[in-house]
Amino acid sequence: GRGGMKGGSKVVVQPHRHEGIFIAKGKEDALVTKNLVPGEAVYNEKRITVQNEDGSKDEYRVWNPFRSKLAAAILGGVDNIWIKPGARVLYLGAASGTTVSHVSDVVGPTGVVYAVEFSHRSGRDLVNMAKKRTNVIPIIEDARHPAKYRMLVGMVDVVFSDVAQPDQARILGLNASYYLKAGGHFVISIKANCIDSTVPAEAVFESEVNKLKADQFKPFEQVTLEPFERDHACVVGGYRMPKKKKDGAE
Amino acid sequence: MALFLLYESASGYALFEAHGFDEIGQNTEAVRNSVSDLNRFGKVVQLRSFNPFTSALDALKQCNAVSEGLLTDELRAVLETNLPRVKEGKKAKFSLGVSDPKIGSQISELTKIPCQSNEFVSELLRGVRLHFDTFVGDLKSGDLEKAQLGLGHSYSRAKVKFNVNRVDNMVI
Repeated sequence: GRGGMKGGSKVVVQPHRHEGIFIAKGKEDALVTKNLVPGEAVYNEKRITVQNEDGSKDEYRVWNPFRSKLAAAILGGVDNIWIKPGARVLYLGAASGTTVSHVSDVVGPTGVVYAVEFSHRSGRDLVNMAKKRTNVIPIIEDARHPAKYRMLVGMVDVVFSDVAQPDQARILGLNASYYLKAGGHFVISIKANCIDSTVPAEAVFESEVNKLKADQFKPFEQVTLEPFERDHACVVGGYRMPKKKKDGAE
Repeated sequence: MALFLLYESASGYALFEAHGFDEIGQNTEAVRNSVSDLNRFGKVVQLRSFNPFTSALDALKQCNAVSEGLLTDELRAVLETNLPRVKEGKKAKFSLGVSDPKIGSQISELTKIPCQSNEFVSELLRGVRLHFDTFVGDLKSGDLEKAQLGLGHSYSRAKVKFNVNRVDNMVI
């Protein structure tokens, strides 16, 4: 019926390797999240309703990797995004909230997404989206000054950053120093020519990773967002990771 | 010398007292290690007073002021009621750790309460943020998020609305 993939064709939804994310298997496979607010699309994305064996129904929303860097990173094979049901996420660069809405689906009713966006134009859409999704706390404020929103944010498990600013490593570091748990994780999307368009993308990624390392971040993995985005990388890692215990055999 | 901490939460202002830290050493690493374990952290940092906001409107007013680094009459009253009195012409025997130097200088200027904000204080406040709802017994689990949600909406709505030009704040 309406919102289904290729009207009426049989679609099966299976859990993805990442907890809280699913794959809709139809004519073509699609990445989907379980809609926290069934019956409503956020940005006109396709929805798929699936009937379970017990007769209950679940609705899923298609997550387009051309519109979401996080979806692109997942399809790019990133090992762990650390964003899962129940997680508390600080999302920097929330824009209009399209990806935020999927993160809201993933963390579910027991999770929280603190969504920071400075631009008032997209902020308006973000605030509207958050009205329906009570696990999203909209924050229209400058991510460069995390102290400004200190009354609104608690300690989080994951910081996701997509601010596309030359000083984005510093912005992530500042926010982590206020809000990211020791042993928590970060996911950062790096657009090479936002930082330096005069050197090859690979060199930009390397220098950004080095900045992160100097700020108590420990990168675990890096994937490119090809073919969905050009010269983009997504770096995932830990923050203030516990030092490995030495066994006193010296 | 005693060290107090100011923590501004979505549901109210809280004052904590930190004990047993070497004042001169101010060992950031030691705090870092104690922060994750509530048993250890709860021994060195204790809640002194929690002052809930009276209404959503009050919370928004406080949030706007805190964000701009301004001292409100309400916060001033909280500090002057709950912290030791600073005698005229004498040096205070305590200091107040705050997360933002801007509000710190406002407080010192207007109330004579000496403030500090540095890496050591930031580490302590990270611990407070991590364990806040356990510290404040009146808050049930989920209450703080509810307060953050309401305040996040009213704070952000006002930001979007007050941009009369309807032009983006361009970041260069």
